[in-house]
Amino acid sequence: MVATAGSLEMRSVTKRYSVDGSPLVALDDVSLAVEPGEFLAIVGASGCGKSTILRLFAGLDAKHDGAVLHDGAPIVGPSLQRGLVFQEPRLFPWLPVERNVLAALRNSHLDAHARRSAVRDHIALVGLQGFERAYPHQLSGGMAQRVAIARGLVNRPDVLLLDEPLGALDALTRAHLQDELQRIWVRERTTMVLVTHDVDEAVYLADRVVVMSPRPGRIRDIVPVTLPRPRDRGDEALLRLRAHLLRTLAGTPQHAGLALHRAA
Amino acid sequence: MATISVPDRPTRARGIQFAPPVRLIGIGLLVPLLGLAAWTVGARQGWVPPQILPAPQVVWDTFLELWQSGDLLANTLISLQRVLFGFAAGASLGLLLGTAMGLSRPFEAYASVLFTSLAQVPALGWIPLAMLLVGIGESLKLIIVAVGTLVPVAWNTRAGIRAVPSGWFEAASLWRYSRAQVVWHIVLPATVPQIFVGLRYGLGHAWLALVVVELLASSEGLGYLLVWGRQMFQLDVVIATMAVIGAIGFALDAALAAIERRLQRWQVASP
Repeated sequence: MVATAGSLEMRSVTKRYSVDGSPLVALDDVSLAVEPGEFLAIVGASGCGKSTILRLFAGLDAKHDGAVLHDGAPIVGPSLQRGLVFQEPRLFPWLPVERNVLAALRNSHLDAHARRSAVRDHIALVGLQGFERAYPHQLSGGMAQRVAIARGLVNRPDVLLLDEPLGALDALTRAHLQDELQRIWVRERTTMVLVTHDVDEAVYLADRVVVMSPRPGRIRDIVPVTLPRPRDRGDEALLRLRAHLLRTLAGTPQHAGLALHRAA
Repeated sequence: MATISVPDRPTRARGIQFAPPVRLIGIGLLVPLLGLAAWTVGARQGWVPPQILPAPQVVWDTFLELWQSGDLLANTLISLQRVLFGFAAGASLGLLLGTAMGLSRPFEAYASVLFTSLAQVPALGWIPLAMLLVGIGESLKLIIVAVGTLVPVAWNTRAGIRAVPSGWFEAASLWRYSRAQVVWHIVLPATVPQIFVGLRYGLGHAWLALVVVELLASSEGLGYLLVWGRQMFQLDVVIATMAVIGAIGFALDAALAAIERRLQRWQVASP
C-alpha cells in the first residue's frame, strides 16, 4: 500500500538562535521536501542544524522565517500526526512498558479498548512482547529505545521523526535496531526522517541522504539511495555511496581538518 | 533479511526488595539493648542515686501503672491527635506552596525571599509570637506543628519539581498534554520521592515541636506528662514518657516509609 499522507516541506527556512546574546544561524535558507512514505536521512557535523530541522518539523520550535508544511498545511505546534523519537528514550521510570507507551495516547481520539490494542500491537511491532509489565530500570538501553520507538508510532502518525535514536547504543545493538527500523518502515510505510551522524546508518536505511554543512546550516548535497530492500551492509554499491558521502562530508568546514589528516 | 543475534535481554530485577529487612532492625536494636543492660547494672550497683535514675524495673512498673490508669493512653492520644491534625494542615499547605513555587517562576519570584527567610526561623521560634496571637490553647499547638511541617515539605516539593528533566516536558508537548496533564501525570509522580523526603522530615519536626510546645504550654499530652513527672520528682514517669515519645516518633517515620515504599515500587531496589 502506498501512503498518501505524510509529506513534509520546508521552503526557504531560516532559523536563528541567540546564544549568550550573540546570534547563531542554525538554518540558512533551507528548502527540503520529504515525500509521503519516504525514508529520508540527514547527516552532518554537529552544529549543522540537522536536529533543528527535526524540531521545526515536530513543531517544537515555532519562530522561524519561511514556511514549514505538513501535507501542505503550516506546522504551528506539535501534532499527534508527527511522532518524534529522541536520542534518550525519555521513559517514565514509574510506569511499566505498556503504560509508558499508553502515555503517548493520553490525548488520542481512540477509546480505551482501541488504546489497549494499539499499545499491544506496537509493543509487538518493536519486539517487546513479554515485557509489557517490566519497568524501565529492568530494560537494556536497546530495549528502552524500542519502547521509545513504539511510543513514537503508537498514535499511527503520518510521519516519524528520529533524532539520533540509536546514537547512544553499542554497535551490535545499533545494527540490530537498524534492521528493526527497516522492517517497521517496510511494514508501516510511515514517512520517516532520521537525523544521524552515522553515514553507514544513513545509506543502509534511507531512500535519500541529505548532507548538511555547518555554520550556517545549509544543505550541501542530497544523495539518492535506490538499492532495493532488504539491503546488504556489504553491498558494493552501498559502500561506494558511503565513500561518496564521506567525501562530501569531509569537504564541509567541520571535516576539512580530518580530510587533510587522512591525506597525510 | 540479515538478522544479527544480540543478547538484547534485560537484566531482570530480582523482585522488589522490601527494605529495610527485619534483620537490619534487629541489628539496630543491639545498641539500645546494651544501654539497657548498662542501665540495669548501674542501678543495681547504685552508681547513680535512684531518685535521679530509677532502675529499669521501676520504670517498667510505672509504665504499666500509667497504662492501666489510662493516663498514658489519654495523653498519648491527645498528642497524636495534635500532631496528626497539625501535620495534615502543614503538609497540605507545604505541598501547595512548594508546588506553586516549583511550577510558577513569577510566584517563586514573589514568595521565595520571604519563604527562605522565614524558613530560617525554627518552628519553636514561632512560639512566643503565636502565644501572643492565639493564646496557649489548642490552636497554638496546631500552628507550631503545622509550621514545623510546612517548611521542609514546601522546600522539598519545590526542589523535586525543579529537578524534573525538561525532556519529559518536551515529550508531553509532543503528545499535546495540557498543563493539568503535565502536572498530574509527569510532575507529580516524578516528584513523589522528594516529596516524601519532605514529609518525613516534616513529621519528625512536627513531633519534636509538639512535645516542646506541650512542655511549655499545656495541661495534657506527652510533653505535659514529662513536665508533671519532673515537678513531682518522679523520674520514672519522665523516663517512661520519653520512651513512649521516642517509640511513637519511630513508628510515625516507619509508617511514612512504608507508604513511600508502596508508592514507589518501581524504584530500583538499592543494594
